[in-house]
Amino acid sequence: MTTTNNSMAERAAGVEISDLRKSYGSNEVLKGISLDVRPGEVVCLIGPSGSGKSTLLRCVNLLEKPNGGTIHVGGFEATDPEVNLDKMRQNVGMVFQQFNLFPHLTVLENCTVAQIKVLKRDKAKAHATAKLNLERVGLGDFGGRYPDELSGGQQQRVAIARALSMEPTLMLFDEPTSALDPETVGEVLAIMKKLAREGMTMLVVTHEMAFAKEVADRVVFMDGGVVVEEGVAAEVIGNPQQPRTQDFLRRVLDPTHVDI
Amino acid sequence: MAMTTSQRARLSKTIQIILFVAIIAAVVLSLDWEKTRYAFFSFEKLGPMFPDMIIVGLKNTIFYTVISFAFGLVVGLLLALMKMASFAPYRWFATAFVEFFRGIPAILVLLAFGFGLPQAFGTTWPQPVNIMLALGLVSSAYIAETLRAGLQAVPKGQTEAARSLGMPAWRAMVTIVIPQAFKIVLPPMTNEIILLTKDSSLAFILGASMAQYEMTKFGRDGIQSLDAGITPLVAAGLFYLVITIPLSLVARKFESRSARTKR
Repeated sequence: MTTTNNSMAERAAGVEISDLRKSYGSNEVLKGISLDVRPGEVVCLIGPSGSGKSTLLRCVNLLEKPNGGTIHVGGFEATDPEVNLDKMRQNVGMVFQQFNLFPHLTVLENCTVAQIKVLKRDKAKAHATAKLNLERVGLGDFGGRYPDELSGGQQQRVAIARALSMEPTLMLFDEPTSALDPETVGEVLAIMKKLAREGMTMLVVTHEMAFAKEVADRVVFMDGGVVVEEGVAAEVIGNPQQPRTQDFLRRVLDPTHVDI
Repeated sequence: MAMTTSQRARLSKTIQIILFVAIIAAVVLSLDWEKTRYAFFSFEKLGPMFPDMIIVGLKNTIFYTVISFAFGLVVGLLLALMKMASFAPYRWFATAFVEFFRGIPAILVLLAFGFGLPQAFGTTWPQPVNIMLALGLVSSAYIAETLRAGLQAVPKGQTEAARSLGMPAWRAMVTIVIPQAFKIVLPPMTNEIILLTKDSSLAFILGASMAQYEMTKFGRDGIQSLDAGITPLVAAGLFYLVITIPLSLVARKFESRSARTKR
């Protein structure tokens, strides 16, 4: 595994976001966000729902079209109208809250379809890569199953393996554990932690504060479409400076002691 | 005297059974069985219709249906994609096309193609081509709506996942969305084939050579050439059921299977 780890760390791409703006009609959800993620860095985006963190994440691979600002991902300028989006997205893995596995394909086919159709890999190579990544998420024996035969946690692990099979230089996670049963959250977080240790650049929208504190290099707190506070994970979560951050963390970390 | 609910239910059931038996008896007694048998069930006189009824009629009915459906499927898919297009004129065209062909009787389209095409464009191809073009266009209007509904029933997240893996929009459509939509539309599509099988009977109004006859045409000719009442049409009807009932069974099987795999 060490060679894989090294090559992953070497290939890891960074993200530079500058003055990003996004509106839906007259509702401005991102009000000029600037944020850098260095190659190999793990950054967690936290904040109340509606704060724009998912929209920010979806702008990075252009699932949402920004209204202003620039995004650089690896060697690509995502916001350049001339950019080859498909080429760029091959390097950016995305994991969704609802998994979005392809239900008509087996677990193995979920992990090979884009390798074969997009990267034009031959079947043998695609299978080998898929198998390797399914083993990485602990599902090496599940290749022949269909997604609806798996638990939520297993499905999300397949979704991670599917993204990894494209050998991305950056991984985006959009609340990857929010749709899971509590007892399966841990298995998904464990894999993300492993991935982080291996040197993958990760941008993670999450409500799992313990994960953010332990795994993230940096935590960014967003509220109302702006970055309110950012810094080293342990400091932002352990000792927040901004009142809005303090208030949010108090509600999240100690939900039974909220004053109404 | 008060009755309990179950007593009342039993009384109502008894009355219904008595009424039903009385109506059946009245019909049976008032019928002239000799004439009825002659008109509908003179099967012993149908000998001369065979084997052409099957090797020509049944074959042509299936042939016209299958080719029309294949044509309708291609045009219908195109129309469905146009209906979902962001370019408005595509949507207008597809909507107008669907509303037009869905809104007028199929027999008018058939007549227009059978007699209008040769007159207007001097086409000289055999009549069955006109039949299949007309039936295909009519069914494409229905198919378009079914396919559009099926394509839109596939969750948006599927397209997003495909695109985020680097698939171009057309590839996401072909490899991810259409196969899933296909499963959703199988039952209504089987319905569409059944309708088309029956609509192919309209072809009898267009003149055609004997080798191009489908089953209804054989039935119509049988009424005139055989002394068997309308029994030839009854026979044709039974052969339609030979096609359509298995299709229904297949549709039901698909329906129960997709219900099982649905999450």
